Amino acid sequence: MPERTIEDRLREEYFDLLPEIRRVVWQLEAEIRFLTLPILHRLQAHEQLVVKSRVKDCESALKTIARDADKKKEDRRSEGRKFDPERSSEYSVLTLPDLAGVRVLVFPNSRLIEVDTALRARLENWESKPVKDDDGEVLAPKYHGYCEGASSKIRGEYQIVPMLLGLFWEVEHSAMYKFRAVANSKEMRGRRADVQKALASFEAGIESFIRSKS
Amino acid sequence: MKKSDILWQANYRYNFDRDLYVNEMAKKAFSLEFVDDHPEEELRQHILENTDAKEWTFYFNFPPSDSVKRELEKDLESVRR
Repeated sequence: MPERTIEDRLREEYFDLLPEIRRVVWQLEAEIRFLTLPILHRLQAHEQLVVKSRVKDCESALKTIARDADKKKEDRRSEGRKFDPERSSEYSVLTLPDLAGVRVLVFPNSRLIEVDTALRARLENWESKPVKDDDGEVLAPKYHGYCEGASSKIRGEYQIVPMLLGLFWEVEHSAMYKFRAVANSKEMRGRRADVQKALASFEAGIESFIRSKS
Repeated sequence: MKKSDILWQANYRYNFDRDLYVNEMAKKAFSLEFVDDHPEEELRQHILENTDAKEWTFYFNFPPSDSVKRELEKDLESVRR
């Protein structure tokens, strides 16, 4: 019989936890939709607020664990993306903060701040870990925490993202999914930063145009 | 010339599961992080470095532990076969 690998054990752990991960994502999405409803009702014709959720898939979870296993201790990625058999007990899908994730896409940015404030008021104990670019500029607020009643083991994650940037991330993720590390290489990070700057400037341009006409 | 082109010309192929540039004949592997963090000239030197190609040589920013090395060798050898 073939030897049971660390990957096998992690897959088993993942599928044991999957019903709980789903409960967290459903609850978090429902809470966020409820909390943002008053803002949604006040949106003007050109404004948008879209709530999306996802459960991180199993293989993506395993890849992230293999890649980031050394990050906590030494703030670096695990080169070679291979699990170390001598550290087998350290690996768990529960170390991932984003098994259950919700993303709120918002346009314009003034609404983003409003959404952030509304969610913070309810989820005040959640840990803030904003998405930043390579220069340390905050691109999107992001939080991790536990959904009361849904799970005491699985952390949920929500982020509030400027709409154009969020849509770009979706396209980029589906195009570069298999080549994640290449997408994170210095060269591609530079190109991504250019796109992000251009989108932010475009979004600010539309916002200021609308303001000047209204 | 881009680093990835230098490696390609020296018969290194990218392993997407491990994020390594691998030359099976030379039994050498460069991690993506190592390639990112080291200048082209240094890469060229390592490519030309004379190893006996009996054992795998890993060019990592942080050398892998013996157990990880064994696992990687197992992986890379199974691809060779």
